[in-house]
Amino acid sequence: MVTTTTDLRALVEAVGGDRVAVQSLLGGAQPPHVFQAKPAHLVALREADLVVRIGADHDAWLGPLLKQVGNPRLVPGRPGHVDTSRGIELLEPAPRTAKGAGHVHAFGNTHYWLDPAHARPMTAAIADGLSAVAPAEAAGFAARRDAFLARVEEGMRRWAAALAPYRGVRVVAVHDSFPYFAQRFGFVVAATVEREPGLAPPPAHLARLAQEMKRHGIRLVLTETWLPDELARRLAVTAGATVVKLPTSVGSSPESGDYVALFEEITARLVAALAAPGGPAAR
Amino acid sequence: MTEVSALWSFLWPACAAGLILTGIHAYLGLHVLARGVIFVDLALAQIAALGAAIATLAGHPPQGGAAYFYSLAFALGGAVLLAMTRLRRPRVPQEALIGVVYVMAAAVAVLVLDRAPEGAERVKGLLVGNILAVTPGEVASLAGLYGAIGVGHWLARRRFLDLSWGRLPAGPVARAWDAAFYASFAVVVTSSVRVAGVLLVFTYLVVPALVGALASEAIGRRLLVGWAVGTGATVVGLVGSVVADLPTGAAIVAAHGLGLAGALALRAALGSPGRHRASLVRAGWTTVAVVGLGLFAAAAVLMVFPGWNHVWLTALEARLPVVETAFLTPRERAAREETARTVARHDTEIARLAGVRDAVRLGDRRLDAEQQERLRQFLLSRQEIAAGDRFVLAHLRARARTRQRFLLGVPLAGLAGGAAWWASRRLAALPPVSDEVG
Repeated sequence: MVTTTTDLRALVEAVGGDRVAVQSLLGGAQPPHVFQAKPAHLVALREADLVVRIGADHDAWLGPLLKQVGNPRLVPGRPGHVDTSRGIELLEPAPRTAKGAGHVHAFGNTHYWLDPAHARPMTAAIADGLSAVAPAEAAGFAARRDAFLARVEEGMRRWAAALAPYRGVRVVAVHDSFPYFAQRFGFVVAATVEREPGLAPPPAHLARLAQEMKRHGIRLVLTETWLPDELARRLAVTAGATVVKLPTSVGSSPESGDYVALFEEITARLVAALAAPGGPAAR
Repeated sequence: MTEVSALWSFLWPACAAGLILTGIHAYLGLHVLARGVIFVDLALAQIAALGAAIATLAGHPPQGGAAYFYSLAFALGGAVLLAMTRLRRPRVPQEALIGVVYVMAAAVAVLVLDRAPEGAERVKGLLVGNILAVTPGEVASLAGLYGAIGVGHWLARRRFLDLSWGRLPAGPVARAWDAAFYASFAVVVTSSVRVAGVLLVFTYLVVPALVGALASEAIGRRLLVGWAVGTGATVVGLVGSVVADLPTGAAIVAAHGLGLAGALALRAALGSPGRHRASLVRAGWTTVAVVGLGLFAAAAVLMVFPGWNHVWLTALEARLPVVETAFLTPRERAAREETARTVARHDTEIARLAGVRDAVRLGDRRLDAEQQERLRQFLLSRQEIAAGDRFVLAHLRARARTRQRFLLGVPLAGLAGGAAWWASRRLAALPPVSDEVG
């Protein structure tokens, strides 16, 4: 089994347990939209029975890579090609010809794995794929998936409770990765630092943003473990805010070892920043 | 007014950093030019980046002090290495060795970062830099550090100048001063690159010094000209990046490029005294020949590949729509006008709706969930309609292109090619110039 991201690897492991061997092409802390394949990756794809991807244009680099490898089991449309974005309504779709470049999420924002409720449809797609490859194991996959979803749901109650005091708090994000998480747990991403995803913002935008942050008392700048945080720090200094660095993928920080731990870690870091003296909650 | 003060509160550290970099790099650039080791800066910067990469691998945060000292240690080591390669009677040019060092450091950094993937963005950052992100504290420490180094160089200026201009006899003394020069250079490059990135630092180092060298023989005057050029380019680049909404670092680099081009043109026009008129004539014909050749090439590309995106023609049509409409039938012209009007109307509407959406996000306006959803859908549908209309415009433009292909391409190619040919004939007929560069 091969997955494009570590989050998908964690989900496949949760469903497949010890019956599957999974490898993620991307590391947890790597920028997700580019990928440079090494020989071992090609070998893995050639031998794999199943490939799992985030889909839309999040891991668009997988398409050419699959063509290059030519493994007939992984061709899109075959049961060995699982796209977990199917059945999930993406936020913020933009028309294809909209202005601006960068890594435009033309199909919508693809960071949907950051809503733990999406574990349900995602693992459903994964379980279907696994069962098609190993029909004899289908019952085991279903049982393990149920146990995993129970863990996620219990976690969701915990995270929702921890974040409940901060409902409606406005934050600014460097990269637009958090709309799903924010929607689930009730805070508002008021603006993003990158005006076009993946492109450095022009100075006038930053200055306006700093001014808006001061005017609205926005005290938190969210950045991610794989992003350089100079810009976030600079904005925070000007606007009198704090920078919180969040893991957005399994394995992008030492603590976020699996899917549930990832949300534990995001919640813990957010709560620590929100509850700090002088933080947004002190107002 | 608040806009301006907000902008300034954001921009002044970048502006100050640019001026501080100008101060030290224009001076060091004079040395680098005199020594003919132009790419030493790139090599040292890359070695510093390698140090940062190894620090990341060792588990230090990339922005922390540890990473800085790793970088510095590597750059100093590299400086010693480069000082040792400065042979008395070189069998191979030092520039070649510097190039090898650069490539090796870059390759090893890639190998190292493969084990510590978090650093990938960091190394990209080291190349491109982000001068906007510099904080007031960093500006202060840069000023202190470079002030100290500047004072050191001022006190020992005789030695350093003699060394760079080859007036110091080779031997252990020269070697020691060489090491001191490269060491201070390594400190400066490491610290500057952290703030501004390799590209911008290289620009600050070489371009002002080059313009200074074009302007004068005297070291003092060269330095003054270099500082003026660096300061001007920093301000122009910053203002340009605000006005035209461009990335700041690249805008400052481009402004330096314009400054250098202007200086070269000025020098060609002025020439040496007594040849004033002849140089002006020469510069004039050269311009005609170059522009003519460029236009000829553009026309040729238009004729061979009408489907390509011809930027020059599109820009011309934006200013002078008649260049496009003249090639359309009356019906197409009417369709184009109608569509352009709707696009403009939709764009205003989209901007207004996006403003409402942003205001809601920021909390300036309240909309309930259903209203927000409606706003979202409305915005999306407007964007789709506008995209469709743009497609119509693109289609009409493609029609015009198929007609412009020969109706515009052939006369333009003929005129431009003819002008270039004639200008080159006139140039060849001019008396030769002895080119004593002062």
